[in-house]
This record gives sequence, C-alpha cells and structure tokens, in this order.
Amino acid sequence: MTTLTPDGLRKLVGEWMAAGKICVGPVRVKPGTELFTRLASPEELLLDGWVRPANSIKEWLLPRHEVLYGYRVEKNRIELLDQPETVPEQIVICAHPCDAAALPVLDQVFNWDFRDEAYNRRREATTVITLACTAHDQECFCTSVGLGPDAERGSDAMLTPLGDGQFAVSSLTEKGRAALGKAEADGHAGRTNAPPVRFVPRQVARFAVDHFADPFWQAQSLACVGCGACAYTCPVCHCFDIVDEGNGREGVRARNWDACQFPLFTLHASGHNPRHGQGDRQRQRIYHKFHVYPEKFGETLCTGCGNCARNCPAGLGVLPLITEIPHAEPVQA
Amino acid sequence: MQNLYKPDLMEVIGVRRHTSDVKSISLRFQDAERARQFTFRVGQFGIFSAFGAGESTFNICSSSNWRDHIEFCFRKVGRVTEALWQVEEGDTVGFRGPYGRGYPVEEWRGKDLIFLGGGIAMPPIRCAIWYALENREEYGKITVVYGARTVGDLVFVDELAQWAEHPNVQVIQCVDPGGQTPDWPGEIGFVPTVFERAQVPASRAVSLVIGPPIMIKNTIPVLERMGARMSDVYTSLENRMKCGVGKCGRCNAGPVYVCKEGPVFTFQELQAMPVDY
Amino acid sequence: MSGTDGFSPKIVAYVCNWCTYLGADLAGTARLEYPPNVRIIRLPCTGRIDTNLVVKAFEVGADAVLVSGCHPGDCHYTAGNYHARRRWMLFRDLLEVVGFDMRRIYFTWISAAEGRKFQQTIEEITEQTRALGPYRPYEVEPAATPCSGCAACSAGSDPSHDREGAVADSPAQAHLRETAARLLSGGAVKVVIGYGRRGPAFITRPEDAARLVWNQTCFANLTTYLKRQEVRALGKPAIVLKGCDERALVVLEKESQVERAEVHTIGMACPGMGQPKCESCDTRQPRFADEMIALDGRPAPTPTADRYAALDPLLEMPPEARLAFWTAEFDRCLKCYACRQVCPMCYCERCLADKNRPQAIDTSPHRKGNFAWHLSRAIHLAGRCVGCDECTRACPAAIDLRLLNLALARAAETQFSYRAGTDPAAEPLVGAYSLTDKEEFIR
Repeated sequence: MTTLTPDGLRKLVGEWMAAGKICVGPVRVKPGTELFTRLASPEELLLDGWVRPANSIKEWLLPRHEVLYGYRVEKNRIELLDQPETVPEQIVICAHPCDAAALPVLDQVFNWDFRDEAYNRRREATTVITLACTAHDQECFCTSVGLGPDAERGSDAMLTPLGDGQFAVSSLTEKGRAALGKAEADGHAGRTNAPPVRFVPRQVARFAVDHFADPFWQAQSLACVGCGACAYTCPVCHCFDIVDEGNGREGVRARNWDACQFPLFTLHASGHNPRHGQGDRQRQRIYHKFHVYPEKFGETLCTGCGNCARNCPAGLGVLPLITEIPHAEPVQA
Repeated sequence: MQNLYKPDLMEVIGVRRHTSDVKSISLRFQDAERARQFTFRVGQFGIFSAFGAGESTFNICSSSNWRDHIEFCFRKVGRVTEALWQVEEGDTVGFRGPYGRGYPVEEWRGKDLIFLGGGIAMPPIRCAIWYALENREEYGKITVVYGARTVGDLVFVDELAQWAEHPNVQVIQCVDPGGQTPDWPGEIGFVPTVFERAQVPASRAVSLVIGPPIMIKNTIPVLERMGARMSDVYTSLENRMKCGVGKCGRCNAGPVYVCKEGPVFTFQELQAMPVDY
Repeated sequence: MSGTDGFSPKIVAYVCNWCTYLGADLAGTARLEYPPNVRIIRLPCTGRIDTNLVVKAFEVGADAVLVSGCHPGDCHYTAGNYHARRRWMLFRDLLEVVGFDMRRIYFTWISAAEGRKFQQTIEEITEQTRALGPYRPYEVEPAATPCSGCAACSAGSDPSHDREGAVADSPAQAHLRETAARLLSGGAVKVVIGYGRRGPAFITRPEDAARLVWNQTCFANLTTYLKRQEVRALGKPAIVLKGCDERALVVLEKESQVERAEVHTIGMACPGMGQPKCESCDTRQPRFADEMIALDGRPAPTPTADRYAALDPLLEMPPEARLAFWTAEFDRCLKCYACRQVCPMCYCERCLADKNRPQAIDTSPHRKGNFAWHLSRAIHLAGRCVGCDECTRACPAAIDLRLLNLALARAAETQFSYRAGTDPAAEPLVGAYSLTDKEEFIR
C-alpha cells in the first residue's frame, strides 16, 4: 500500500507550486472558518480540524466572475477581444467526496448540446485529490444521494486517513497517476463512518412534482431571507448571470454567479414574476435539484455536502427542508 | 476554440419605429461567410446586445426565407432596450443564435392557419405569417386577428394590409374598447371577443396564439369552441433568459428549459406543466 | 510613495453647479491658470454627490478626488450642503478605517466668486498628489491568510454550527411558550415570530408554541422578518425581542417601516448569547416591550468591554496595512447579499445594487465591485445599524463586516453622541443636519 505523510504531501504541493500549477486546498481563514483557497504556500494547507470547508471547489471550474470577452469601440467599429485559451493546471488537494462528485454532475449541463469550452478547459486542467471523510456533522447527508465518505466519483486520487496521521493513497485516473504516481490502496484502509441515510431522492422528486403548488413550500420558507448563501456555497449550483461592464468605449462582458433565490432571477420586464414568493423559490431549489436535473441528465443536482444548511443564517437547507416533507416514508439507516 | 457566448457582429441596415416605444431593427452579418451559412427556423430567438448595456432576448421576427438580413422587434423598457433605441443605421449590434425550438412549419402543411396576437406579441407571429405566405401552396386558409390596447400600439400595420391582399387570407385588426380613433376602420373589442365574432373554424387548423396572459386565457376557450385541439394550438413563451443555451438556469420553468425545449410549445404541453412561467 | 518623474496626476473634482462650478468658470474668465490635471464633474448640489461617486473615481483611476460646493448658508437648495457635510463627516471615518489614503481626498467650500481659491486649491492638490505619486488602491497585496490570530477581527466562529448544541430548558422558555400560546389562542396575534430549534420559527397555532426555544442559540435578530411580505401576509405578529433587537425596532419605527401598534413585542431579558457583541452590551433587556419575560430574578450582567474595543487592533495598523486587511476580506466576497438580506435595515424594495439604470455599483464579485458594495452598504447604515452583527454571522465568506459597522457607530457616537435605536425621539442621523456640524476637514 502506498502511503503519504502530511509532510510528504506538503512537499508534493511545494513541487507542484514551483512548477507553476495552481494548488487549492482548505485554509483556515478565520478562527472557526475554513475555505477552499488558492494556496500561497504548502504550509497553509489544512489537513485536519475541519469537517468540511464552508465553500466548494466549483470556483475553479466556474469562477464567481469570469470575463467572456472584451469589447472596444472605435468610431463605429466594434472589436471583440478574446480571453486567453490556455488555463494553468490546477490541483485541488483535500476535496471531500461531496466536492469531487460535483464535477461529473456539472459536466452534464455544461455540455448539453452546446459545449461550454471555458468550463471544459478548466475541467481538463483540474486534478482532484480527494480526502476521504473520517467525521461528519449533523448537516451531512451524502449517503442519501448515493455517495459516501469514501465515494470515488469525480476524484482523480483518494487519500484515506489511516489514523496515525498518514494517508493511504489511491490513484484512480491518469491525472491522479500523473500527480501521485501509480498508487493502489489495499481495500478500504481506515474504514470511515457514514452519515445515516435520511431520504430517498426519488420520493423527494415525487413530492415536488405532485405538490408543486402546495402551501407546504410557503410555510417552510418563512425564515428564508432570500440571500444566495446556499446556492453560492453549493458544489453543484451553477446558475449565472451575464453582464456588461464598462463604458461606451471599452469594457467586458462577463458572467457572475446568480441564484434562483433572488426575486430578480425570474422577474420579467413587464413586472410579472412567476416565482414571486420565497416559497416558490425554495420549491424551485428542490424541484430543480431532485426532479428537473435528474430527468434531463440522470444526475441529482446535490451531493449531500450540507453547505447550504451550514451557511444558511436561518437554519434552512436542502436536508432540513426535505425532512419536513410529510408522507415521506421513514428510511431505515 | 469556439466561445459559446461570443456574438456575431451585425451591421444595422434599417431601423423602423412602430410606436412611441416599439422599434424593429434589420441586421446584416458583418462576416460575409457567416451570412452565407446562417439559417434559422421561424419561431427561434436570438440574443441581441448593445455593447456596454448588455444582452436581451428577442424572437427573430423576419422570415427564414429572407437570406440577406434578420430582424428583431423590441419595446423600450429597460437598460438594454434603451441602448438599442439609440441605434442607427451603420451601427454595430451583437447577435447570438439562433436558439430554441422553432415552429414545426412542416407539420403545419395542409392545414389552415390561425394567428392570434396581442400588442407587442405580433413580431413572433409576423415571421410565421410571412413564411406561410411565401410557401402559400402548403397551407390552407390563413386568418389573422391582431389587436392592441390602442391604435397607436399596433405594430407592422403596413404589413397587415399587405397580408390581406394575398389569396384566401383574412386579416382582422382590433383595438380595445376606448382605444379607437374616430376614423378607425377595424374592429373594436378584445382579441378573444373579436375572434369569436369572426367564427373561424378551427378543427382543421393550426393556431398560434401569443399575447399577454389574460388574452391567452380568454382565447383558448374560444378556440376549443371552434373545434381546435390543444395539440394544434401553439404559443411562444416569454421568459427571463440569459445564456440562451441551457446553462445559466434562468429560463427553467417547471420541467423545461424554455431556451432549449421552447420557446415554442403547444398548449397540450403547457397544460401538462406546472405554472412556473 | 515618492513622486515619479513625468507622473501627471489625474484629479476628479465633483462640484456643485451653483458655486464651485461657477468659481471654476470665473477662474477661467479671469485668466487664472490652473493645472489641466483636473476633470470637473458638475452636479446640481453637493447634497447629490453620493459617496459611491467618490469611490468610483478611484475605481476608474483617479489619483485624488475633490468634492466642493457652496459655503454653508449659501446652498441654492437651502440645505443640500448641510446634508452633504454630515454625510462626509461619517464617510471619512469609514474610508479611514478601510485604509484609503485620506491625503488624496479633499473637501472644500468654494463660492462662485472664489475663482482664485479654486485655482489655488487645484494647484495645491495637483502638487501634493504629484508628490504622493500614482494611487493604486485596488492593486494592494491582500493581507496573508491563514489568519495570524491577531485579534483584529471577530468573524468566523459562526455560532450556528452549534445550533443543535445541548441547552437546558429554562423557566424563561416555559414562560415564553405559555405567552405565545395565550396570544395566539386569544386571537390577539396571528403569528409569533420567535426562535425554534434550528433558527427563526413562525408559530401560527397555539399547539405549536412548544417549538419555541429560549437558549444560547437565540442570537438572531428577528426584526428583519417584519419587512418580509410573506410574513406580513400572515397578519399581526408578536415578536420575541432581546434588548439589542429592540433597538432595531426603534429604528424601523422611526423610519416608518413598522407601525408600533401593529406589533406585539415579547421582551426577553437576555443573559448574553456568548457573541462578540454581547461583551459590550448595555441593553440586556428591552425597555418598551408590551410584555417582559424576566431574567429569573438575577440582575442583568454589566458590559465587560468597551463598545469599540474591537476596532483598536485595526486602527493601530498603518493605513496601508488596513487596506491590505480589507482587500483580503473583500476579495472573498461572493455577492451573495446574505449581509443585506438578514439586515433589518436593508428594506429597500429594490436595492441600489440591483438597479442598472445606471449601474451605480458593479454587481460583479471582483475587487472593485466588492469594495463598492460594502462601502455603500456601510454608509447607508450609518446611524441606523444597531450592531446586531447578523451580517457578520450570515456571511459565508467570514468577512468581518462588524468592524465596518463599528467604525461608523463609533463615528456617530464620537461626533454626534448618537447611538442608533436607543432614543425613539432622536432624529435620524444622516437624514438630519446641524448648523454646527464640525467641518475642520473642509477647506
């Protein structure tokens, strides 16, 4: 079995950084808050003391702000300025399975007939080294959406804590092998503990479809203040807005993260808003994640990471909302 | 490598002002090769932009048979449309498209066509009417009922007159009660009422109904009374759009993405969807 | 920074139409030459000069900014410059705490007759700015992470992580539940807005009153829900209020957002919620509640810290270090607007940031857009923010918004003896002005 010590891992990170690769990992930003951050040094990488960072790694596939192209106006002529096509290599270290699994899910929508090459370029340039979970908190529910503390979906390599500070290493793909060499873990070293299964996604979809206009949504959403914290920290939420920034002479057209929780998201120019109440918008989250996306792409748009609930100032979130759904058959753990 | 979101640069070759706040613009591709290759289906939409202001979604309201230019029509309501309002001949505008599902004009062959529109909803109907007139032998009787709040809100009025001159085409214009001028020769009444008055048989017809929700709500029962099946009644959904290519999530209404599976839907399809639009 | 050879500073001057602009014009007609480095932007009145215009000038590359208008008493619109002066008094303090170079921001009164003063002012600003060199506030290297534990901030330990933490039931909790059930069954109110196990709870039936809790997890400020249309639609509310929360209600009432008679307040004597704001709290229980649930007979604890002590580490840093700190903070901003949405005072039907004609604040979560947003929001809350720290708690990026609000609260108290929400009879801070407002910083 191939193993790595924390020092060994940091040494590798140092080598990657020296080679010009962007390294991303959990960093303690404030006491009590860890965020996936671009590492300034291998020492910043936080290998333990956290359940999961408060954000996700989607920033490196779909940046919160991305210039699509620039424009320049000279007299009557407009020139469009392309963005650079090469993307530096990126390595994410210590993503969790719920982060890594987001990538194959996002691949679907970003290649749905039309191929989003900006996304694909970044995807191609990204290697994900996943850290299997040894702990979970009450917001985690990866097992309810078909994942688990050592699920391998989307990962290029897996590090499993062995309990003595070392990690068992398993390279799962070409990219993983390129980063960590050929490495096989024997079986599941250091069996991890999984959160209990709390619901069946199909049942949630059924409820959302059958009870689309049910007052349930409104009643459950009273505490929602309509911010975007859930969507922006979710590994798979990907909605975006396109804006022009600049003046009459020059500027850029860019895309920024957006969220269905904002009232402006569906506001028509006529003033009509199909989703004018927060209940409608909360329903949309569940409906889109558990019904629409699976119908189209065969994937649930949720990896059970629990960030929505952790970041919600009002205690809401996907799991809290689903556990309030009546008539759902209780699931045996 | 292709940038999905990068528009074609279009030269403005004509600007028509229809009302105090509605204009239509004719565009030609700056790139001649692109102009040669470009095709679309009537009913599809494009994303038009004024650089510095932003992008906005409009139906391509010209006929797909016209190879030298495309047109779109808009009401001045916001930041982008205000910028487009200032556009003059010779200016440059951005265009991305064509996107979406257009009208299944091949399936409509051999049928009568009924076009019912209200106000600013005429442009997405106009392209279908011109297409049908240019392929006249393929379609039966064509009926157009078009109304607006007032005479001043009617758009493409000159073309309405031209259509009426074609064989087997009936064009009825109407304005809301109180919206008429003293010399108004057309009908007075709401579109559903005027359409019912016209007693147009609809059992062998395909209908295209576009307008404000209240107009549609009241028109559907009339169509049913005239014998129409909901699978033969079409509409084009107006929705908030951004990317137009099924990624940004904004146009997701119920189970569909309007930019991919629409904007053209039959009422049978709409009635199977929750009201999320 | 020393002046560089050949550097020609760019100066943006926002001037009022009736005085300074005419003064500049007079300089022209009187052939008083002044450096061409200044770009004059004419507005009707200094009262119209939004603080985000000052920030915008730096965004587009200004090396110095001048704001100038009529002398007090001479305003063409009577009081526009008084309002502006008060706004600037507060905004300067905010900019200082954020680390902007205050040597590059000038305020003057220049009348239509003072062509020479305009000439001299521009000359002076140009020379001083030339000596300082180009200004690149948005190119500062962000302060390093991980945090060094310098105690400059208190953000990050989101207590909601311990939401389900063990908390014992208390007599106060039982009393609260009885009160809620009574109010609902009597029909006096249609909904009780209180704290549930996971967060805010909206109790509409007496039998559900048992869902209410009163414990160490009750730190949220529930007054923000009084503005939500979905909550208003439920009917007359009763609301559970701590002393700090009640200050928010006072402000909302003053700003005509809430009819006091339309809200039934259940005051809770608060033992402190273990939050940073609790250390300096001196309003441990509401003063105007319709009914009180007391602190089990014990006297309320007294504050243990100076209200503004949290600012000290920041203020001890030189301005460049402060700007580096805030650059690191704002670089993490996602524009999720959680700060705005939780805030009771952010009740505008359409926020300035959501308007696009014009786009006064860039929506993009890039450095300039983030600075613009947070500076705008902070100044819009000056004299209104009651320090509930909900914004800090809600921020998923652990930005220490508390320090911004403290900076302006301190400015309000030091300069105007003003504390938002403590005196129901007090005039709004920024909405009002005084003829004796200090202006040593205005030339």
